[in-house]
Amino acid sequence: MAQPQAQNNNRQTPIRIWNIPVRLFHWTLVGCFITAWLTRDNRYLDIHLFAGYLMAGLIVFRILWGVIGGPYASFRDFAFGWHEVWLYLKGVLNRRPPRFLGHNPAGSWAIYLLLTLGVLIVITGLLGLGGEEQQGPLAGWLNYPQGKLAQDLHELLAWLMLGVVGTHLIGVLVESLLHKENLVSAMLTGYKPAPANAVSAASQWKTGIAMAIIILAGGLIWFQGYLTATANQPYRPFIGPELPDNALWREECGACHLAFHPSLLPARSWRTMMEEQASHFGEDLFLEPDTVAEIKTFLVKNAAEQELTEAAWKINQSIPKSKTLLRITEAPYWLKKHRDISDAIWQNPKVNGKVNCAACHLDAEMGTFEDAAMRLPD
Amino acid sequence: MKIFTVVLLCIAALPAQASETAITQVQDSYRTEEGSAFAATRGKSMWTQSFIQKKSGKQVSCATCHTADLKRAGSHIRTGKTIGPMATTANEERFNDPAKIEKWFLRNCKWTLGRECTAQEKGDFLSYFQSE
Ligand code: HEC
Ligand code: HEC
Ligand code: HEC
Repeated sequence: MAQPQAQNNNRQTPIRIWNIPVRLFHWTLVGCFITAWLTRDNRYLDIHLFAGYLMAGLIVFRILWGVIGGPYASFRDFAFGWHEVWLYLKGVLNRRPPRFLGHNPAGSWAIYLLLTLGVLIVITGLLGLGGEEQQGPLAGWLNYPQGKLAQDLHELLAWLMLGVVGTHLIGVLVESLLHKENLVSAMLTGYKPAPANAVSAASQWKTGIAMAIIILAGGLIWFQGYLTATANQPYRPFIGPELPDNALWREECGACHLAFHPSLLPARSWRTMMEEQASHFGEDLFLEPDTVAEIKTFLVKNAAEQELTEAAWKINQSIPKSKTLLRITEAPYWLKKHRDISDAIWQNPKVNGKVNCAACHLDAEMGTFEDAAMRLPD
Repeated sequence: MKIFTVVLLCIAALPAQASETAITQVQDSYRTEEGSAFAATRGKSMWTQSFIQKKSGKQVSCATCHTADLKRAGSHIRTGKTIGPMATTANEERFNDPAKIEKWFLRNCKWTLGRECTAQEKGDFLSYFQSE
């Protein structure tokens, strides 16, 4: 285990403390955390997932590196007990914390906490993805409500991690000030001033290059869809389930507006709408009785209650059972998802109102309304 | 030789659009009702003629959703959905089904004029769609 250095700063020369893989790990992890935070909106789910998978890979690597990474990187070089953390913190309070070349006891605990939180965040994220979106390696493991629970936990853990990151930053700042050394630049360059007898870390550049290549190649494979996409065939990162279809419904209900998939409203809404087809939002549809019957059967059979998609489940959840809404655009879930869209966008000639779902949702015709398939027109 | 001629005739007939058969069929049914000749020019002037819609009090015409240029795509005034061009030359999917034609005449005439169109008016519209 690392021992505190003598306070005597005389005759110190810079040596490498952080090898390249440790530094690459650190800053890529920072990048992942920031990216994941900024892409928590469903519109960017594919980017969010890349950040998440990369974070998972980095953590696995770091655990491995904690065994074989050599001086300062090995867990055994910063395996501090609670007592040592306490002593160290007391030193900070007295403004005279001992100096450690590697991680100090408090810092090491932040690292273990961050790694643990990272693992939990990845797990709950995958569970949420598999349950709520029915996507990813765990697709189908959980149902929608369980997926939602995992998702809520995922968010809570992310806030906790933000808290630990904040504490870690304060710690870095305080120690940098108290020891009058720049710990941030040490994590960039790898070098810290050390007494003549201190062990220096090898650069491990081969491992570093291998990491960089793997990360870049992974990114290229993950995002390659964007490279081959065209304006007419935009890239959709997630393909939803193939939903039930009906030719008569598409023909009759898809001429004036998008054929809104039955999964977007509960059965009671569709029943009422078809019974009132002669005054359909001010339009008379003039449909024949047997046409009405066939379309109604199709709509009711695949209504929101069947939970064919995440949107179906959430829309149905959001509408009080006592209410029969005729508009998808009045469902509380729809309103919540679109509340940040400004009037200027709704009035944009390319959108022309809320019912023109296809102006923003690439998969509106299919009815799946997947994440990362929506974009605002410019 | 005879067979050869028949084959040739069939090939010559192929490019004729499906819309032609459907439109002829519908126009024929109008003719027996009123029996007048149809004119694309009359259809054209009615296409852009404005009517006051009772419900909304707004000035509307067929061009409100379809635009005045039959070769261009329009968009539904209430929903924003794109509506393909109406000229038979610009849109192969147009006027292939007599029942569909009748359905939309009923809906759109009521919507625009507040009444059903007469056989004469509908026949004129169809000639207009073919003429552009
Ligand atoms: C003749 C044109 C026309 C046809 C055909 C038509 N609709 Fe509509 N529909 C409208 C109009 C107009 C609105 C109201 C748009 C608005 O006010 O934003 C509307 C609105 C809707 C809405 C509410 C959209 C929302 O969430 O605000 C639903 C749902 C709907 N239609 C379903 C159907 C179904 C199902 C059929 C087939 C039986 C159908 N429509 C056929 C014209 C039509
Ligand atoms: C002006 C563009 C626009 C229009 C028009 C629009 N949406 Fe959206 N929609 C969005 C955006 C952006 C989001 C992402 C909101 C978020 O989660 O941040 C979204 C989210 C959604 C979601 C949630 C998807 C998810 O899993 O997070 C559903 C469902 C949805 N829209 C349905 C509809 C339906 C149905 C219509 C038509 C009646 C419609 N939208 C019209 C922009 C639009
Ligand atoms: C409120 C919007 C609206 C107005 C106004 C309107 N239409 Fe239409 N019309 C439509 C829509 C929507 C369709 C179906 C489009 C499709 O199938 O692509 C349609 C289709 C038609 C069709 C059937 C085309 C086919 O392929 O068989 C005819 C004919 C037609 N309209 C005639 C008229 C006439 C004549 C007027 C004026 C009296 C008129 N429309 C006004 C919306 C409108």
